[in-house]
Amino acid sequence: MPTPSPARMHDFTVVENEPMAQGAMRLVIHAPALARALKPGQFVNVAVPGNAMSLLRVPLSFSFADAETGDVEIWYAVVGDGTRRLAMMRPGEASTVLGPGGNGWTVPEDARDIVLVAGGIGTPPIVSLAAAVRAASPDTRIRTIVGARSASALTGLTELRAVSDEVLVATDDGSAGHHGFATDLLPDLLAGADFCATCGPEPMMAAVARACDEADVFCEASVERMMSCGFGACATCAVETVNGMKGACMCGPIFDAKEVIW
Amino acid sequence: MSRVDMAVDFAGMHLKNPINTASGTFGFGWQFQDFFDVSRLGAITTKGCAAEPWAGNPKPRMTEVKGGMMNSVGLQNPGVRGMVAESGEYLADLASRGTHVICQVAGHSVAEYVAALELFEELVPWASAFELNVSCPNIDQGGAAAGSTPEGAAEVMRACRPVTKRPLLVKMAPVRLPEIARALEAEGADGLTVINSIPGMAIDVHTRRSKISKPTGGLSGPLLHPIAVRMVWEVANAVDIPVCGVGGVTSGEEAAEFILAGASAVSVGMASFAEPDAAVRILGELEIWAESQGVKSISELIGAFEC
Repeated sequence: MPTPSPARMHDFTVVENEPMAQGAMRLVIHAPALARALKPGQFVNVAVPGNAMSLLRVPLSFSFADAETGDVEIWYAVVGDGTRRLAMMRPGEASTVLGPGGNGWTVPEDARDIVLVAGGIGTPPIVSLAAAVRAASPDTRIRTIVGARSASALTGLTELRAVSDEVLVATDDGSAGHHGFATDLLPDLLAGADFCATCGPEPMMAAVARACDEADVFCEASVERMMSCGFGACATCAVETVNGMKGACMCGPIFDAKEVIW
Repeated sequence: MSRVDMAVDFAGMHLKNPINTASGTFGFGWQFQDFFDVSRLGAITTKGCAAEPWAGNPKPRMTEVKGGMMNSVGLQNPGVRGMVAESGEYLADLASRGTHVICQVAGHSVAEYVAALELFEELVPWASAFELNVSCPNIDQGGAAAGSTPEGAAEVMRACRPVTKRPLLVKMAPVRLPEIARALEAEGADGLTVINSIPGMAIDVHTRRSKISKPTGGLSGPLLHPIAVRMVWEVANAVDIPVCGVGGVTSGEEAAEFILAGASAVSVGMASFAEPDAAVRILGELEIWAESQGVKSISELIGAFEC
């Protein structure tokens, strides 16, 4: 029998839920057992109240999970009915969350020079990874590229600067940092790197995967899919890979970027 | 202990209670083992499997709609051998704990249904019954294309009937139900599962494209529950073989509607996605309802709808 999902049902209460950037919100929930169980790159699946016509949970990544306070921090873009309702939740409100879901990043133990590439609202799994790598290994070089469509939509710069040796910024409109794609800045960083992690829009991750392939750097990507259950029962979150269709919820959301057919 | 006997007879199986799971919404059972004791259920129906593995449809495969969801998974499955290798041990153990395992059978053609059923017959001694899926709306050949006429459905049933002595159920498309049900009964079907998902469309009006990878998909969830109840009632009135009601059950009372309409068993589907232990909660609610009806056995309530 394959290993079932590590997800369990947890009650949570909202601690904070405030705008953090253009179109993006920062949610803090209190769910101690979940906070203890989460590993960087895994996801949570939130039941959002407020619409009896909407039954499915909203799968979301997380940026911080604090085992001591029991808080989990979730950054999300308000893009559909579920996240619009989530944005309405006020401190003290309660619901349930399924998690942790999925596999998490697998940074090679001997990696000493890692490159992180985050785009749009893809920063949370990169933030949680960067913090974990820094905590485990003060000497590992961490260089990070953060991209967004404009300066107002950038997320995670403060958090990433706190744990990275270098943070480069790229915006589509040139309102901050490099005027262009995050991936324009990547080839220079990959020389000497021994691991790359990326999360963001799929075309960006595809470009990161290509650049890493050319530079012969092991790369992992956090892949997003529409998801019905999040624990391996529905087969809706399929990711096309060189080894066949694989569920983002159980075989991912973190994939070897070489394995994904972008 | 319950004051009502919840056991029911369904298609040659004695179920400890009427709650079953809809194929495609419950994986192969083990996905739920850490959420609740799956052996509390009367039966589970596993994801449809063909003789060989199927890759299924491209992404995106699912979009949420008001009151439910629409999928185009396209019966991605590991094939019968892959399913047995991965899940056989779990399912054999589940069967030994008194939960009937019903294995769904998929195919693109009559020959493929037969080939898959032959493999099941050989490799899964622990299965109590098989369910022929002649109603999947998301594959180009087989599925609904095979089972949407009395002749097509009967042809599949006729070819499969000699392969096994175990009960054969048929998952029905939501079309021409009474006449297809009668054709299947005449060919020796032991029971009918009513209904599969209903074909629908969801269009992104900004891009003018389908919200899933195909123009149409299969709708499921509470939005179709009243339709499914009506169809169960029509089928139960048309044939003497038993019916399992499927469609949008999220509560014991909704399961009870299927029982009253004539279903001997009820499958929980989409509800298990958001609430993994929905089936066992619904079982508890169904039991409370049965007690409220003042019967000794829930069997007395099958088809007890009064009009």
